[in-house]
Amino acid sequence: MDLIQVENISKTFGNFKAVDNLSFNIEKGTIYGLLGPNGSGKTTTIRMIMDIIAPDSGQIVFSENRRIQDFADQIGYLPEERGLYRKMKVKDVTLFMAELKGMQRQETVDEIDHWLEKMELIGWKNRKIEDLSKGMAQKVQFITTVIHRPELIILDEPFSGLDPINMTLLKDLMLELRMQGATIIFSTHIMEQVEKLCDSICLINRGRMVLEGDLKMVKQSFGRNSVEIEYSGNIDPIKNSPFVEKYNDFGKRVEVTLKNPEGYSAFLREIVDANVDVTRFELMEPTLHEIFVQSVRHDAESGMQNAA
Amino acid sequence: MQRKVIAVIKREYLTRVKTKGFIASVALTPLLMLIVTLLPSLMMRMQYTPEKIETVHISEKIKTVVVFDDTSEIFPKMEAAIDADPVLRYNENRGYRLVERESNFNGNLEAKKELNQQLQNREIEAYLEIPKDVLEHGQVEYYAKTTTNFDQLNTFKQILSNIVTDMRFEKKGYSGTEIRSLMRGVHLNILTVEATGKNDNEADKVEDETATWVKRGLGFGLGILLYMFTITYATFVMRSVLEEKTTRIVEVIISSIEPYQLLLGKLIGVCSVCLTMFAIWVFFGVVLAMNLNPILRTFGVDAPPEQINQIIHIIKANSGPTLFYFVIYFVSGFLLYSIVYAAIGAICNSSEEAQQASTPVAMMFIIPMILGPSQILTAPDSPLNIALSHFPFFSPFFMFMRINTLTPPLWEILLNIAAMVIAAVVAILILGKIYRIGILMYGKRPSLAELWRWLRY
Repeated sequence: MDLIQVENISKTFGNFKAVDNLSFNIEKGTIYGLLGPNGSGKTTTIRMIMDIIAPDSGQIVFSENRRIQDFADQIGYLPEERGLYRKMKVKDVTLFMAELKGMQRQETVDEIDHWLEKMELIGWKNRKIEDLSKGMAQKVQFITTVIHRPELIILDEPFSGLDPINMTLLKDLMLELRMQGATIIFSTHIMEQVEKLCDSICLINRGRMVLEGDLKMVKQSFGRNSVEIEYSGNIDPIKNSPFVEKYNDFGKRVEVTLKNPEGYSAFLREIVDANVDVTRFELMEPTLHEIFVQSVRHDAESGMQNAA
Repeated sequence: MQRKVIAVIKREYLTRVKTKGFIASVALTPLLMLIVTLLPSLMMRMQYTPEKIETVHISEKIKTVVVFDDTSEIFPKMEAAIDADPVLRYNENRGYRLVERESNFNGNLEAKKELNQQLQNREIEAYLEIPKDVLEHGQVEYYAKTTTNFDQLNTFKQILSNIVTDMRFEKKGYSGTEIRSLMRGVHLNILTVEATGKNDNEADKVEDETATWVKRGLGFGLGILLYMFTITYATFVMRSVLEEKTTRIVEVIISSIEPYQLLLGKLIGVCSVCLTMFAIWVFFGVVLAMNLNPILRTFGVDAPPEQINQIIHIIKANSGPTLFYFVIYFVSGFLLYSIVYAAIGAICNSSEEAQQASTPVAMMFIIPMILGPSQILTAPDSPLNIALSHFPFFSPFFMFMRINTLTPPLWEILLNIAAMVIAAVVAILILGKIYRIGILMYGKRPSLAELWRWLRY
C-alpha cells in the first residue's frame, strides 16, 4: 500500500525551476532514497512533502486521504540544516521535542535514556547542546526525530557530517526502525549508503526525475552484462568466444562484457566445455554509483541537446 | 493541542528563569530602581533660594581669583562676602583667595595676556573684570580655563549680584540688607486634596508635598522600569524567534504545532518570566516593609527616621492600584512590542540583520526617555503628555506615569487599556502573518513590497 503519492509536483523560485513535474509513490514500511547531486531539488521536494512550502502545481496525497497535519504526531522530520537550542540540556531538548509530538512526560523520560544509551550519549544527558561536538548534536537531533516512534520518518541528508562509525550506527537504526514498521524517506548523495539501505529510489537531477523505482529493478534495467571470471589454464576460449563483446585480462582474473546479457549460462557452458578451469564466475551488477554518474551525465547531455 | 502550547511556554520560561542573568537582574534591578526613583525627586526639591549662597562643591585646594575692579568699591565687599562664608573662606589649605589688580586705561591688555598664561598653567582659577558702569548695566566679565563648573559660576554670580543690588539700594538711600529681608518670599506648602471623607466624621484625604513628590518619583521610576523590561523582554522574543529560524528548529516545531500557537506560547512564556521577577520583588518588598523595625534594630537603629516612615506610608497607601496598573501596562505593552519584534526576527536571517531591522522600533523607546522626565515630572497634565499617553506604543510609559501623578478619570484609563488590547490584537492579526511566512523563508530579507504581498495572502 502506498503511504505517499507524489503527483506531478513542480516548484519555481523566481526564474529557477527547482522541481519539475516530479511523481513517485512511497510504499508503507519501506526505505525510500531521494538521490541527486547538490542543488537538484531534493530538499525542495522534502519541504513540499512536509508542507513547509506549497507546490506550484501537482499534489501530494497521503494514504487514507489524510492531510499531513492530521498525523503530524506520527511524523519525524530532520531538516537539512541542523540545529537545536544551544543553551538547553540534552535531556531537556529531547523532552521538549517529544512533548511537542504529544508524548507523555513519564514515558518520554524512560525513552530518552533508552535512546541516549543506544546512541552512546548517555554521559552527555545533562550537558548543554553547545558543549557537544557537531556529530553528537546531530545524533541528539536524530533522537528528537524518532523518539515518538513515528510511522513516517523524513531525513534530509542524515549522513552528512557523520564519521564512518556513526554512519553505520545510523544506518543500523534506520533498518531497525523499518523492521518495526516505519516508512523512511531520506535524501543523500552518498551512494554507498543507498545500496545498503533503500528499497526504492528516485534519482533527480536539475529538478527532474531521471530514474525511479525499486532498487533491484533499477539495477536490472541497467543490465548484468558484465562477468568476472577467475580461472587457470588457457584463456583463448574466452577471448575467442562469440558471446564476448570485450574483455579485460588481469592474468588470473578477467572481466568480460557480454554481447547479450541473457547469454551468460551458454557462455559459461561453452568455456567449461573448452576446458577452462573456472574457479569463480560472477555476474556483476552495475554499482549505483556508476548508474548515478552515468544517468546524471546522460541527463546533462540530453539537456544540452535540448537547449541547443 | 493545548498541551503542546504549554510545552512551548514551559520551555521559554524555564530556560530563562534558570539562568544566572535572571538571578542577577532580580537582585540588581531594585538597586538601580532606587537610584532612578530617588534621584529626580531629590533634584527637583533642591530649590535655589536667593538669600543663601548654596555651595555644593567644596574646593579641594586654594583657588586664586584675580579681580580688576574699576569701581574700587566692589572688591572689598567681595572679600567680605567670601570671608563670611565658612565654605568659601580662605584658610590654610582651601577656599578662595581674591587678589585685586590695578586696572589701567588701555583696557588691561598687557595684564590680561599675563593672566591668560597663568590660567593655562592653572596658577589662577579665574579673573574678573568689573566695569565702572556695573551698577547701570549689570555686566561683569568672567575669564577662566574651565567654564563648566556651574557651582562656582553661580557662587560668583550670586556674590556679585548681592553686592550690586545692595549698592543700588544704598544709592537711593535704602538699606540693602533690610530691603532684602523685607522682600523675603513665601514658601507654598502644596497639599493635594485626593478625596473627601465618606461622612462627616471621616477626615478628607489630603496629601502634602512630600507625598506628591514621592508619588511622582515612584511613578517615574516604575515607568522607566516598565519600559526597560518591555524592551529587554521583547528583544528576548525576537532572539528566540531568530534562534528557531536560523537553526531550522522551527520547521520541526511547525510540523506539530500551528505558528500562531508557537508565537502565543513564546509570548506567554517570556512574559511570565518577567512577571515572576516582579512577584519576587513584591514579595520581598512586603516582607521588608512588615519587618522594617526589627531589621533596623539589628543595624542599631531604633526606629526609622520620620521622613522614611512617611515615604513608606505613602508607598503602602498607593501600592495596590499602582501595582495593578503596572502589571496591566506591562503585559499589554510587552505584547504589542513583542509581536513587532517577533515579526522582525522572522524576516531576518542573522542577529546582525535583526539588530539593524529593529532600530526603528528601538527609536520608539527613545522618545519617552527624552520626553519622559520633563513631561511627567514638571507638567503631568500637558497636552503633549496626554496625547502621547493615548498612542498605544507610548501608553505603557506615559499613561502609567499619568496615573501615578495626576490620576486621570477612570473612563479615560479604561478607554486607554481597551485601546492597548485592540492594538495588540490588530498587531497579532497583521504581523502574525509576516511571522508565519517569515519563519520558513530563507535568503534575502523581504522588501517592504514583498511584506505587503505577504499581508494579503
